[in-house]
Amino acid sequence: MRSGNPHGRARIPWRSLGLYLAALVVSAYLLAPFAWLVLTSLMRESEALSVPPHWIPHDPTWANYRAFFWPDVTRQSASAQAIGSIGIYLRNSFAVASAVSVLNLVFGTMAAYALARLDFRGGRALLLFYLASRMVPAVAILIPLFLVMRFLDLLDSLLSLVLAYTTFTLPFTIWTLRSYFQTIPRDLEDAARVDRCGWLRMMRHVFLPVATPALVAAAMFAFMASWSEFLYAVIFTSTEASKTLTVAVSQFATEFYIEKTLMTAGGVLAVLPPLVLALIFQRLIVQGLVSGSVKG
Amino acid sequence: MFRGDRIKPASAGSVSPIAFAYMLNAPAALLIAGLVVYPIGYSLWISLHRYNLKRPGTFPFVGLANYLDVFQASDFWHAFGVTVVFTALSVAGVLMVGTGIALVANESFHGRGLLRALILVPWAIPPVVNGLMWQWIFNSKVGAFNGLLYSLGLIDSYRSWLLEPTTAILVLVFAHVWNQAPFAAIVLLAGLQAIPGDLYDAARVDRAGAVQRFRRITIPWLLHPILIIMILQTIIAFRVFDIIYVMTGGGPGNSTTVLAWLAFQASFVGLDFGTGNTYAYVIAMCTLGLSIVYIQALYARGEIRQ
Repeated sequence: MRSGNPHGRARIPWRSLGLYLAALVVSAYLLAPFAWLVLTSLMRESEALSVPPHWIPHDPTWANYRAFFWPDVTRQSASAQAIGSIGIYLRNSFAVASAVSVLNLVFGTMAAYALARLDFRGGRALLLFYLASRMVPAVAILIPLFLVMRFLDLLDSLLSLVLAYTTFTLPFTIWTLRSYFQTIPRDLEDAARVDRCGWLRMMRHVFLPVATPALVAAAMFAFMASWSEFLYAVIFTSTEASKTLTVAVSQFATEFYIEKTLMTAGGVLAVLPPLVLALIFQRLIVQGLVSGSVKG
Repeated sequence: MFRGDRIKPASAGSVSPIAFAYMLNAPAALLIAGLVVYPIGYSLWISLHRYNLKRPGTFPFVGLANYLDVFQASDFWHAFGVTVVFTALSVAGVLMVGTGIALVANESFHGRGLLRALILVPWAIPPVVNGLMWQWIFNSKVGAFNGLLYSLGLIDSYRSWLLEPTTAILVLVFAHVWNQAPFAAIVLLAGLQAIPGDLYDAARVDRAGAVQRFRRITIPWLLHPILIIMILQTIIAFRVFDIIYVMTGGGPGNSTTVLAWLAFQASFVGLDFGTGNTYAYVIAMCTLGLSIVYIQALYARGEIRQ
């Protein structure tokens, strides 16, 4: 529809101006806090502590990030000791999150295939069992699980976290994989069966390649959930043997002697892997959030 | 329901299909049984006993005494009240901010794709880092928030936002909402995109104003996503722990001591596992009802069919 403009005066497009203004406000809301964290992490301590704050670093530096991996030299502060191990915490976080993703894929695919394809007695009950277990709040089983881990002598080990996180993420994985598997036509497997191909080979060569998007999404959600988890990590871990990055970051925030620039750099470091995954797999994540409502 | 196309697995060897199905489910089911179901039972068992690590060797059965103690303690009711306030403010905040973001992201303009990608930034940030970030922004001596308000002339001197009871809880809610609103925005945006455009055209022909169109068309169409968001967000806010740990430690005083923080303190600082566990059970019970509603809502949408 064209709105007439008989007098030839330039009309001000109020609606579209308002829209761009709103988009600008929303973008600032979404981005500014994190941008400030990143900017601080590129400052030297004296600049970060200036009043009023410098918004843009006058003399940006990677020194804070370098200090994590090559603890040196010019820095003699009390923080030096606390940050020296960050590479180890980073490695622990990666190890736990990757192991949880792999276990989710293996166990999740097995269970989801059975629930999607094999019409067996009790299948529905199993599905509800998985779903119900997702509704148990982590804090409610924290103490007994702590005691179980102590009994198994698993406290302060990566395995304790891998076991706990795998258990918490599996229900969602099974649920998403199952609904995706149901959309795959059965003809595929039927054709494979004619070829007298074994189940494992059929899965590897026929079924799983078709299910790749769902598998990627499931692995990614499991990775991100494990990477971000804090409650169990702070209770189960105590030394470099198993401490994850979220625990280290919480100590940065609560111990006053840590330099603010190191604190913010540590925070940025802990955000990067999930943020990069989220931006790469934007479409898959949005689909997953909408259909399954993750992070429950 | 009977299904005619019931088939055997491609090759299960000599194993019957049903045994094969259970074999495939065994690892997942055993893990969940061992690390969720057993602990729940064990946890209930502990909550019926006096169990204090400071008094090792004793584990007397006390029946419901822990629960009665808890329900008579003012600590508990205070934490319960703080949790309810935090939850109510957070859910309302997440819904409003999420709706605002979704409405803007649903319009068409240059850079819309970028805006939609930006929605994922707060979502991807782990709660612990979120807490660290906001604690830094609201820092009383050098924080960006103080600096911003001061340079705009809105305050005369820097304030200690996290050290005053009222502002501390509001800052926590603000930080939590920033982290959670993107989830609501994404779900609501999908809901908005599902509304047929000719509904709005018809409403325009009937000369319905923007507000009326929003109330008569948008809101009713979004009822289901709104319900899902409210339930999930209530559950999440009721269990809040990470940002409390990082930002306030339950303080100042006990003004931000929520139930999860109380449970953590009682168990791992006070070493009183019996009481701590009872707090944890109360959280579980309070959210259980909501969880059941949530599962039913998913049922109604046909997510679960077999």
